[in-house]
Amino acid sequence: MSESTMSESKKSAAVLSDIAFIEASNGASPLLKNFCQTKKQALAAWPIPTRKTESWKYSAKRLKLADNYPTLTDVASSYQPAYELDCYTLLLSNDRITLNDGNIQGLSIKRFSELNETEAAQVRSGIIAESKDFQFADLNAAQFIDGIYIQIEDKAQIDKPIKIVFEHLGQGMSFPRVFVYVGKNASFELIEELNITSDEDGDAFINSVCDITIADNARLRYLRMNLGSVKNENSACKHIGATGVKMLRNSRFESYCMALGSDLARHDLHVKMLEQGAECDLNGVCVTRDQQHFDNHTCIEHVAPHCTSNETYRCIADQHSSIVFNGRIHIHPDAQKSLGSMSNKNLLLSSKAEINAKPELEIYADDVKCAHGTTMGQLDETEMYYLKTRGVSSEQAKLMLTLGFVLEVVRATPIESIAEFWEQQLTDILSFQES
Amino acid sequence: MLSIQNLQASVDDKQILKGLNLEVKAGEVHAIMGPNGSGKSTLSQVLAGNSAYEVNGGDVTFEGKNLLDMSTEDRAREGVFLAFQYPVEIPGVSNLQFMKTAMNNIRRYRGEEEMNAATFMKLAKEKIQQVNLSPAFLKRGVNEGFSGGEKKRNEIMQMLMLEPKLAILDETDSGLDIDALKVVAEGVNALRSPERAVIMVTHYQRLLDYIVPDFVHVLANGKIIKSGGKELALELEEKGYGWLGIDEEANA
Repeated sequence: MSESTMSESKKSAAVLSDIAFIEASNGASPLLKNFCQTKKQALAAWPIPTRKTESWKYSAKRLKLADNYPTLTDVASSYQPAYELDCYTLLLSNDRITLNDGNIQGLSIKRFSELNETEAAQVRSGIIAESKDFQFADLNAAQFIDGIYIQIEDKAQIDKPIKIVFEHLGQGMSFPRVFVYVGKNASFELIEELNITSDEDGDAFINSVCDITIADNARLRYLRMNLGSVKNENSACKHIGATGVKMLRNSRFESYCMALGSDLARHDLHVKMLEQGAECDLNGVCVTRDQQHFDNHTCIEHVAPHCTSNETYRCIADQHSSIVFNGRIHIHPDAQKSLGSMSNKNLLLSSKAEINAKPELEIYADDVKCAHGTTMGQLDETEMYYLKTRGVSSEQAKLMLTLGFVLEVVRATPIESIAEFWEQQLTDILSFQES
Repeated sequence: MLSIQNLQASVDDKQILKGLNLEVKAGEVHAIMGPNGSGKSTLSQVLAGNSAYEVNGGDVTFEGKNLLDMSTEDRAREGVFLAFQYPVEIPGVSNLQFMKTAMNNIRRYRGEEEMNAATFMKLAKEKIQQVNLSPAFLKRGVNEGFSGGEKKRNEIMQMLMLEPKLAILDETDSGLDIDALKVVAEGVNALRSPERAVIMVTHYQRLLDYIVPDFVHVLANGKIIKSGGKELALELEEKGYGWLGIDEEANA
């Protein structure tokens, strides 16, 4: 902790462990107790990020951490699904877990407090759990009350998606944590949905972790939805989340991350292809407006040879909002014959909007194909003109082109009702004119 | 219908149109020919309302109204349609969505009722088949992945959907094979009526065999220097622009 950190943050806390959080009772997970303790100790060595912290360069000023975060209010869940989908729903509302659906064929759902030794070991060896890179994930590990563990049995083909809702109501910070193990040859769709509502008493903050392991030949489709947040005039809605994916031999991972901005929102998506033949396909749409912010940090690691990765992210920032896209591809020395491609396209709709895009390619193997393309632009005048020569108005043209920019990814979303919901959401947001 | 008087226009500080005059009445088909660089495309773009071109003199009246004062989209709604020489690709917007929005805007402007989805779909399928394109193209992005010929045919399809009063074809025949050319010509001829007018800007005489013009004009050095009937096009084809004293190199 340096002196400069203190003056930068203007808060009394220089490290996260200085902040008074609620007493975590992760005595509820006895097999994870040491793990949690270690993470708690690690916190003391992390200075709170400032704009000089590379990975928080553009987002640190939004952190504005309070000196303390009080106990979460015991409020009944107000969750209503915004789209129709036949799925199993698990709810984590202010750190209270509600498992609505009982026994589902082909998988088992447990609380972390119910884990056996093997399961606990899996949780401890998750990508995010093992990593020393995510300060806020360490905070989650130090503070979570209880978590959800889902295990998909080998060869199981789960008939319906499982939706996990991370809901936060009122002031304070909640720490939802989920671990998913997809057994060999199994296939499964997971939806993670974030809903935050603050009240006038103080900021609402979700600090979430979703750690996934996909075993040999298994496939997982992951849809993550940050529906933005409902805030009060005086209090902010913040969300920092991390998703880690460990991929074993010939496994498949597809993600669709749909994000709307918030006062502060950050998603770290870290995929590690540890064994040959793994393939991942990361897709994302991020739209911000007003004074919102969203920070996307992705990292795809090719550790083993013969793995393939694709990444397609589309970001739109309007009015005074800002977006960060940091896409890292790391190809390890033994990862020969890796195939990687990344396409990040960004659209600025106003002169005050800001998008910071940084592709990072770290390639240590010599027989690989890795392509990346990043574009940054405004609406194309030639396209606008063409539409207008057919009688389309400027506002309509702007909306059609803006939506068109992200629709490629939205329409590729494999669950139809979610794709339609997002198309409608984005249409509403992008056609809303500032008064 | 259209009266152009002493039109002067420039682009990137270069003066292209230097006093162009043209009268087009309803029911007429006019061809404008000329060497490269004479100002043919500039004329089309100025009429459509491309803001990259600066009008620095003259007047254009369309149906008694001042065309130059109107926005691009209003000109389209008044009934001006430009079939582009190089139509742009717009992957994120579907042909269907584009046409539906355009058509309903124009209908609203004219005080007509908007077309419902089913009627529109039926019309769209009919027109797209009329230009020998598959209905599958309707769901694709505007001109997305279309070949040159397909793009030109898509322009004609849009024209057939929107039924403009004045259709301006900017070198629509360039780069087309004979079959595509015939399809384009059939589309344009299908729209010919006493209430409509067509201006074909063309480099080659070939199109005029299929869409027979009432008048042929030669545009050179930013002005129309000669007008005549359809025979003028044949003479030009035979004798070249040099016959009229035009130095083709000086224009380009």
